[in-house]
Amino acid sequence: MGKERLVEYLHRFSLPESWRKVSFWKETVAAYLYLLPAFVILGAFVFYPFFSAFRLSTFKWSVVRPPGTFVGWGNYHYIFHDKYFWRALWHTFYYVGVNVPVTLFLALLVANLLNKSLRFLTFTRTSYFLAYITPLVAVSMVWRWLYNWQYGLLNYFLGFFGVSLINWLGDKRFALPAVIILSIWRFVGYEAIILLAGLQGIDKMYYEAARIDGASGFQVWRKVTVPLLTPQIFFVFIISLIGSFKVFTEIYVLFGGTSGPLRSAETLVYYIMRQGFFGTNHLGRAAAASVVLFCIIFIFTLFQLQITQKRVHYQ
Amino acid sequence: MKSWKIGAIGLVLVLLFGLFAMAEENVTITFWHAMSSGHQPNLQNLVDDFMAEYPYITVELSYQGGYGDLQQKINAAVVAGNVPTMAQAYENWVTPIVEVLYPIGPHMTGLEKADIIDGLVPSNTYNGILYTVPFNKSIMVFYYRKDLVPTPPATWEEYLQMAKDLTADTNDDGTIDQFGTGFRPSANPEQFLNFLEEAGGSILNEDWTEVTINNEAGLAAMEYAASLAPYSLITSAYMSDAFQANQVCMFIDTSAGYYYNNKAAETAGFEMGVARVPVGPVNQKSMIQGTNLGVFDMNQTQAQKDAAVLLARFLLLANKTVFWAEKGGYQPVTKSAYVTEEWKNWVATHEYQQAISAQMLDGFSQILHPNYGDMRDIIATSFEEAMMGEAAPKEALDAAAGELGALLE
Repeated sequence: MGKERLVEYLHRFSLPESWRKVSFWKETVAAYLYLLPAFVILGAFVFYPFFSAFRLSTFKWSVVRPPGTFVGWGNYHYIFHDKYFWRALWHTFYYVGVNVPVTLFLALLVANLLNKSLRFLTFTRTSYFLAYITPLVAVSMVWRWLYNWQYGLLNYFLGFFGVSLINWLGDKRFALPAVIILSIWRFVGYEAIILLAGLQGIDKMYYEAARIDGASGFQVWRKVTVPLLTPQIFFVFIISLIGSFKVFTEIYVLFGGTSGPLRSAETLVYYIMRQGFFGTNHLGRAAAASVVLFCIIFIFTLFQLQITQKRVHYQ
Repeated sequence: MKSWKIGAIGLVLVLLFGLFAMAEENVTITFWHAMSSGHQPNLQNLVDDFMAEYPYITVELSYQGGYGDLQQKINAAVVAGNVPTMAQAYENWVTPIVEVLYPIGPHMTGLEKADIIDGLVPSNTYNGILYTVPFNKSIMVFYYRKDLVPTPPATWEEYLQMAKDLTADTNDDGTIDQFGTGFRPSANPEQFLNFLEEAGGSILNEDWTEVTINNEAGLAAMEYAASLAPYSLITSAYMSDAFQANQVCMFIDTSAGYYYNNKAAETAGFEMGVARVPVGPVNQKSMIQGTNLGVFDMNQTQAQKDAAVLLARFLLLANKTVFWAEKGGYQPVTKSAYVTEEWKNWVATHEYQQAISAQMLDGFSQILHPNYGDMRDIIATSFEEAMMGEAAPKEALDAAAGELGALLE
């Protein structure tokens, strides 16, 4: 009787047919049980910190009485009136704006070259990837010497082209470019490997068809390779964009625990760290700046999803 | 004997016995530190001595990583209410958490307190109470290349002149490749604070109600620093890098860097000398830096707090602070330590120690202001701007004074 009434009840509300089966509910419960560990971990380590950062950004932090005094928009007011915040924001956009496209362009070039000469593929692939898997701190330490204005290898090579000594790490004009060059060097290999995998996954028949139709090399590249590589390009683009917004470690190590001469390489994440952790304890301000960074990345990602997805072709 | 007398004596005996029993009750304390592997055996050694003397106390030393890690862990521990019994801490870590600290001073004798080097007392005193005690201390000293600087400069004028003379384009390529001296303004604003003190200046007035950094003395200090700028390598990296690369000939830096600077000199193939900082227009003083010891008053039993205070006092004993200094490259923190035969012999047999040790007794340390972290940041920026020619000394100092003033409101 009870079951019949339940079925009748479900009918009245015109619920989906499948909901009326007990097996459906069993499967659903099982599915959620399987998802539970992931939810718990994500909840504890991603969602909770994420929302508590929002909350924290409205408090003047106190270690002794956390989270401290409620200040509303006070921290936002502070950072929006802090010239170093705006500088950090500008530096971040500068870094992202140069680093992401240049790395991607070079990675495409490298991927194409690797795709053409397959003889030493494993060796070349490994050497390109080595830059990526070497710990960033170690890499940055090495680059600190490469950038030495007097004895650095970089200035030595530039000397062959008549370039006078550049004080890479000591001149505010070159500090951020120095970070960008290091990042490009580090990520070109990684991005190239992903793009190479994409290139090698493109079915040869498209190229044959294009050749039969008499397409030129550039036309093949433009009309076959690039469209079929868009999933990889898209992936690499998003990953490097988000990663670039979060640049910190290389700056910290390159400039010996500072953000370059006159803070000329201070990015948003460095600003966040300086506010929150480098002896000043302004966790509220740091959280407010993090929220701003989150909004920026979020908007960019949405924008990218909207625009780029229309142009991504899956085979 | 009347029975009540026997009873009373019995009671007193029982109470006394009970007291002893209580005093001897086993207690375990945890001690968080940031002393890396080289220092750990020395610290363990000291703690072992302590435990041998007080067998009822067990001290668990717990390495927490570098100083940055230690600070973050202390803060997190305070938030979680799960703190160690005691920890190493810099002055500006202490100010935000001072109300959860158990002041050590009130449990020390007058003699013990008076024995602490005068320059270290203010940086451990909060609202007139000695909260923490000094532990591992180093001081700003003058490093120089013995081959190029036969006699280290004694005064500011001599220092400037030598810096000028030593700055050279040794390979005639049109750029300076050997600087007389070097500074790390953004990373080490203490270099400026040293000049400030020697010029008779200060960041704030005595009762912290007014900013004094841009007064006449402050300006003299910043102008002097800026006058050195053309002959200085301005960097943020440790000076040992530039020292090793023959890019700087002399510089003022902390004695904690002695080992690294000396190694750099050895690698580069020259001998390094250590001298007192050149005397300024008003005095010859050096800034003492390094951590102190604090005991927590949060979820700790009285026995634990007492044991931790006992350990802090034990580490101040002349022979202990001398041991710690000799083994770890630090400086003793009490006056009595400097007159021990042990330390005198050590200094006599270690030439570089003479200059370092001589400065300690009239050294000074940072102020224990709640906003010192922000203040240091502001001063570093102003120092850097002046040294890089981004702002005139007065302009840089006035800007700093404005920002510092806002912190006092």
